[in-house]
Amino acid sequence: MMINMILLFPVIACLILCIFKCKWMNNLMITLYAILHFCVSAYYCTVGVPQQSINKYFGVDSSNIVFLAVLSVVFLAVAIYNNGYMKHEQTEPRRLRHYAYMVLIFVLSMTGAILSNNLGLSWVFIEATTLASAYLIYFNKTKNSIEAAWKYVYICSIGIALAFVGIILLTVSTGNLNTLAYNELYANASGFNDFWLKLSFVFILFGIGTKMGLAPVHFWLPDAHSESPSPISALLSAALLNSAFLVILKVFKITVLAGCEDYARAMMLVMGFLSLFITAVFLYHINNYKRMLAYSSVENMGILAIGTAVGGIGVYAAILHMIGHSLIKSSFFMTSGNVLEIFKTKKIKSVTGILKTDKKTGWLWVLSFVGIVALPPSVLFVSEFLMIKAMFYFHQYALCVLFVILLTVIMFGLAKAVIKMSFGLPHSDKEEEYEQNAKTLSFGMYFPQIVLLIMAFVLGLYIPKFLNVLINGTITGIVG
Amino acid sequence: MENALIILFGLTMLYMAATSRLMAHIRILAVQGILLFLICYFGTEKTDLFNFLFLAFETLIVKALVIPLFLNHIVKKTHEYRDMEANIPHFYCLFISSVILFGGFLISDINFPAMKMINPVYFGVSIAVIIISLLLITIKHKILTNVVEFITMENGIFLLSLSVAKEMPVIVNLGVLLDIFIAVFILGLLVRQINKEFDGIEVSHLSDLKDCEYDD
Repeated sequence: MMINMILLFPVIACLILCIFKCKWMNNLMITLYAILHFCVSAYYCTVGVPQQSINKYFGVDSSNIVFLAVLSVVFLAVAIYNNGYMKHEQTEPRRLRHYAYMVLIFVLSMTGAILSNNLGLSWVFIEATTLASAYLIYFNKTKNSIEAAWKYVYICSIGIALAFVGIILLTVSTGNLNTLAYNELYANASGFNDFWLKLSFVFILFGIGTKMGLAPVHFWLPDAHSESPSPISALLSAALLNSAFLVILKVFKITVLAGCEDYARAMMLVMGFLSLFITAVFLYHINNYKRMLAYSSVENMGILAIGTAVGGIGVYAAILHMIGHSLIKSSFFMTSGNVLEIFKTKKIKSVTGILKTDKKTGWLWVLSFVGIVALPPSVLFVSEFLMIKAMFYFHQYALCVLFVILLTVIMFGLAKAVIKMSFGLPHSDKEEEYEQNAKTLSFGMYFPQIVLLIMAFVLGLYIPKFLNVLINGTITGIVG
Repeated sequence: MENALIILFGLTMLYMAATSRLMAHIRILAVQGILLFLICYFGTEKTDLFNFLFLAFETLIVKALVIPLFLNHIVKKTHEYRDMEANIPHFYCLFISSVILFGGFLISDINFPAMKMINPVYFGVSIAVIIISLLLITIKHKILTNVVEFITMENGIFLLSLSVAKEMPVIVNLGVLLDIFIAVFILGLLVRQINKEFDGIEVSHLSDLKDCEYDD
């Protein structure tokens, strides 16, 4: 019932928007959906997940509840921010309405991808996220945003088509089993044909990995994240990548149960370290701050893949890292929206002295940076520390050294840009203009980031018991 | 009969590799749709009438009619009829594609225990079609040709799904069809927008977004 509510509400909301065509309803519907989404996941977090899924195709269970909760929190924050952000959009009402439709459908498809019990259905929803967000990336209608939207739809569609090849190969490996439901796949995994299963994992990892933003198939990500409106960048980075990660985790579980996990782990390690390496190389000379944040997402997705591949406590660290990354990165992207509103440019070179121009934005910018580079008390510090501990535990010292070196280089690249932008004095000739722009920012454009950052820093010091139970449930649900 | 049709399906890719006219590419898409229908008709067991009707709708209506007509419309709007400047000459392109197709036939002939789980001719040709499509995407210079090759790749995947004699749930099949159709539709709309903004649909025009020398 609850699940049906969050799956049906956006459809009904779109119909209402289509019929009434009121401008004030656009943001209201998005906010209502966010509140509903949040209430439903809060309900499941507190009451606990049902033992048996009621619906044949969708269901909340221990493996996906954390992902659903993260999506809800991020979406609620983005919806609040969006109310302030869209006031600055001077565009025709029709386009604002289309924007609202697409946000609703985008979140619906992410929810569907997270909740689906069937691999085929997960594929359908992951592809649907691409199609729904294409318009959102293209929303500004500039030359750059058209290019970004084209690359996004094209690269992701090809990637996801390859993932479908993987799904077909998986059905080959299942032998006489004629189903794609995760439960039955898990139950019969030990009898699967190794050769086809390994081949299918390659295709699925590359295909869904395209959507997750793992190198070397991440090329759409910096373009799409940098050209879309900031609330959408936050949703893309903090929610969309996670839902793709969940699908990879579920297929990874099949390989674990089928006994060919070593191969899967090696593949994920290679892609994870490649993501870190590429981020380290590209961040060093970056000159667009939204692209910088996008590359940081590639890095963090790489860390998730590495944590899962290392295993043991690394899986716990990966889930914790995913939660922390979503909280901090969405706050970072939303703050980048404030910076863009004030300075009207995405060039790192042209932005200095955010702290002098607008104290709140400046501090949010600095604190988001502290969070994302995993300085204590950020929750990412705990997760990366646990990951390193897992590497030590499994005697993977070389990997550990490489991991730490790459993270340090990335931290240097990010710090160089953020420190240059935050401190110093703004350009004297434009100082007044910047201050005028800063005054137009409403409280709703600071509040969500403050809450998200507080959550991220508190989690770094104290992980509540219920969250621990949920994360442990996820690990049992995923790794078995 | 079905093997002959599958080989014919593979050969259409060679024609696609050799020609530079966009209209010919689109006609080939229609031909592929019809061939896929015939392969379904002769190849699969028609135990489930509903499933067969769905496949007929997917191949005959969507793949052979709606998508080619839509792309035809786009070609007329953009006034781009040829894709002349491929990265390598068409002759080499044809040669490489032939080698890949030959490789596909070889795959279907190898004697490997795991191959017994599928229909080898379907598998070999569909893998060859997917690889040739990916090759052509990297070689051709117009984004509209890239859309056509995306669809041929989907056709290859469709053939691959026929090689496994299993049926996915109807809801999954419907979702897949809907997704692909909307993807093609969105790509088509974007082609028109790009034509308007960039004065042409050359792939090389789409190079403003990069990490160094970025400009707002």
